[in-house]
Amino acid sequence: MADPLRAILTFCCLGLLTAPAWAVPLDRTRFAADLCGDGAAQVRGAEGLVQAGGDLPVADLTFAGGLLGALAERRLACPADGALLLDRPGAAEGHDALTGALRPAAEARAPVLGLRQRAAVETARGVVALLTGPDPAARGAGLSVVERRIATVPASVLDRAQDAEADAALKAAIAGLAQAAALSSPDPARRRAAIVAVAASPSGAAEARLTALKSDPAYAADPAFRTALDAGLSRVSRAVAVGDGLAVLYNGLSFASILFMAAAGLAIIFGLMGVINLAQGEFIMLGAYATYGVQEAFRRFAPGLLDLYLVAAIPVAFGAVALVGIVVEALILRHLYRRPLTSLLATWAVSLFLVNLVRVTVGTQNLQFVMPGYVSGGVPLYADFVVTWNRLFAIAFAAATLVLTLLILRRTPLGLDIRAVTQNRDMAACLGLPTRRIDRLAFGLGSGLAGLAGVALCPIYSVNPGMGSGFIVDSFMVVVLGGVGSLIGTLVAALGVGGANVLIEPISGAVAAKVIVLVGIILFLQRRPEGLFAVRRRR
Amino acid sequence: MSGGVQTAIPVPIGPARRAVRDPLVAGLVGLCLAAAAGLLAAPPAPYLVNALGQLAAFAILAVSLDLVWGYLGILSLGHGLFFAIGGYVCAMHLLAHGVAATGVLPDFVQFMGWKSLPAYWAGLEHAPYAFVLALALAGLVAFVFGLASFRSRVNGVYFSIISQALVYVAMLLMYRNDTGLGGNNGMTGFPLLFGWPMGSPGVVSGLAVAALLALAAVLAGTRLLVGSAVGRRMLACRDDETRLRTLGYSTTRLKLGIWCLSAMIAALAGILYVPQVGIINPRVLAPDLSIEIAVWVAIGGLGRLGGAVIGAILVNGLKFWLSAAMPEAWPFILSGLVLLVVLVLPNGLLDLVALRPRPTWLRGAR
Repeated sequence: MADPLRAILTFCCLGLLTAPAWAVPLDRTRFAADLCGDGAAQVRGAEGLVQAGGDLPVADLTFAGGLLGALAERRLACPADGALLLDRPGAAEGHDALTGALRPAAEARAPVLGLRQRAAVETARGVVALLTGPDPAARGAGLSVVERRIATVPASVLDRAQDAEADAALKAAIAGLAQAAALSSPDPARRRAAIVAVAASPSGAAEARLTALKSDPAYAADPAFRTALDAGLSRVSRAVAVGDGLAVLYNGLSFASILFMAAAGLAIIFGLMGVINLAQGEFIMLGAYATYGVQEAFRRFAPGLLDLYLVAAIPVAFGAVALVGIVVEALILRHLYRRPLTSLLATWAVSLFLVNLVRVTVGTQNLQFVMPGYVSGGVPLYADFVVTWNRLFAIAFAAATLVLTLLILRRTPLGLDIRAVTQNRDMAACLGLPTRRIDRLAFGLGSGLAGLAGVALCPIYSVNPGMGSGFIVDSFMVVVLGGVGSLIGTLVAALGVGGANVLIEPISGAVAAKVIVLVGIILFLQRRPEGLFAVRRRR
Repeated sequence: MSGGVQTAIPVPIGPARRAVRDPLVAGLVGLCLAAAAGLLAAPPAPYLVNALGQLAAFAILAVSLDLVWGYLGILSLGHGLFFAIGGYVCAMHLLAHGVAATGVLPDFVQFMGWKSLPAYWAGLEHAPYAFVLALALAGLVAFVFGLASFRSRVNGVYFSIISQALVYVAMLLMYRNDTGLGGNNGMTGFPLLFGWPMGSPGVVSGLAVAALLALAAVLAGTRLLVGSAVGRRMLACRDDETRLRTLGYSTTRLKLGIWCLSAMIAALAGILYVPQVGIINPRVLAPDLSIEIAVWVAIGGLGRLGGAVIGAILVNGLKFWLSAAMPEAWPFILSGLVLLVVLVLPNGLLDLVALRPRPTWLRGAR
């Protein structure tokens, strides 16, 4: 809250403080006498304390709290010579409330609280607990009492509590309560100030709170109020829209990352061998299951390092799935080159086999993953836009994969071989390249990338044997759109498809988004059948 | 193993006579007719009759895919879409017919809170209109998609992937309740067929006979087609499209025509299938089912119409039997069968039988 604003609020509260009879500090004698008096006096005493609460010294508050507690628990005796605090109800002697001296209670009257008095006393006790409670739990309990009776509690109490509060969650709760109280305050100036304060920290909740005020009678009656509310609301709406836009972009980016991870391996394999690997989705699933295996191994052998399993799973998933890919290539696909449509059916059979193998051996249920600190929660950045760690993990993972894969393709001998065979298989073979061995390694690389996608998915999606089929259509669209064999094309297409999906989804629903994206891709292929970035090649 | 140079040019004979010389197709047509006659004369248990009718519908579907894949080299992974169009229109007819006869609205219409069938159902209670509509709709969808694809020369695996995406999107659409065709649950509870109660033995036999006769007609018709001059052009297009285009043929028009024909045959299969199982739901649009159609064709023998029929009947017969007897094992058997066939028998199970020396023009089949 801005400082001038706090000054205004404090000023307003001081204005309200002219009504009670006492000034700062507390008139202890009179307070004790009020509590010992009749019902009206008790209410006056308790309410007076509530009104003054924000400005009283801590010692006075503690004193008042002791007295109120004793009154509520019937430990307050009221002989003629001043209030006594008893140790238990009905005790024969007690300490003088003001001096602490031990005196006999001797038949003295112990006041009983009526319904109305009890409410006032409870509120006063709540204020004291909120301001002087020893721990967050006690202060939180005080806050909940104050919240129930917020109409009778002045803003100065909440301001003071908010300033003094050390616990972040409790402090936010107090601030929220103060704001809500100010918004419904009877004082127009205070309401306007509260609107400005709410507008200063925009969020969807703030927008809803301000929008609700439009139906307030003051909106029609008071032009100043209307102007303030309209200004505040437009400011909040703008900020919320920007925040939502950022959130959409962020979601689109994370979706695109997943798409890219799933499609990168496909693009390499398809570009090199012309093989449509329908089992790529299942390779992703195997990567996720490998991650689960690593987690269970950590749980068993190194529970202290459990949080690191996700990092340790990266090489394991890559290696395991690359191995599976190499085996599939060696056993099946190498017999099917030059027959791309048949190899497509073969990879479908492999995917059917893998899904059911996992289903039979592990089961069909969703796997439970431990979420280490670095992939759970997030940081609220602007308005309702929260940067969640799990999605950031996927984005960073995809970026790292992109860089590494590009490095492999552009800077290593294997990458050079892969590019040579992609561009002209026969010429590469003539120059002495072992094309079959390169195929196998490239297939392993592409499969390993799918395994990495599986690792990145674990914190975001549910992991079960059928998870792969959800990716296969989208990732093929990305490969086709991007242009066969071009990693950069795959990246651009993934960003485009992911972004388009996320942009269209809020307008017309998830299904319509997919339909529109597909139609868009078909139309695009009318113009450029080779995709965005066609690799020049000779066959 | 592409093309193969023709060494001996066969003596030109008429397509009808050439078709008769295909003993496999001729035998299958004869078998269909004999089975249909047998069903009418001495019907076995309704369960078997129904299974036979379903197998015939699947065989028609397989023939429709073989026509474009085996003879044009276009692998569609979206043929389930056309099958589903036929099936959905047929289901709409059955429901509209039921409403016209009984006045009771179908469950999903009541679920959506509608007071009557939507306007676009008008006239669907008339069977001929529904039949024509189903075929026309499938043909239209195929035409639009085919025109877009073939004109820009999208072919090979590209075409396969995009057709798969098409059926996937259609599945997502039909899963929505708002699409208005039963959503997730699909359409079921058909009361009547041509005024007769559904599920009575006569209707079951009649449907199976109709499916068998349709299979015989489709087999004979497609065999005539692939034996004709158009059929030769199809094979030429499959083996070397560029050369055929250079020779002055419009391959786009050829492919588009056959593609639409194939889609309409698939829709016919859907029309025959739905009344026999009594339900249609978006699961027929799952990409896996469309791939399975290709699997039937590949297992039976790609590029031979009889092979497609045998593959469809074999795989589905096994599936009927095994998915009841040992459901866990069925996917493993299917995937093993596919791998076995693609690795060991590149031209399908017909390689095993070797009914007769393969004509030279089939050697390049892939």
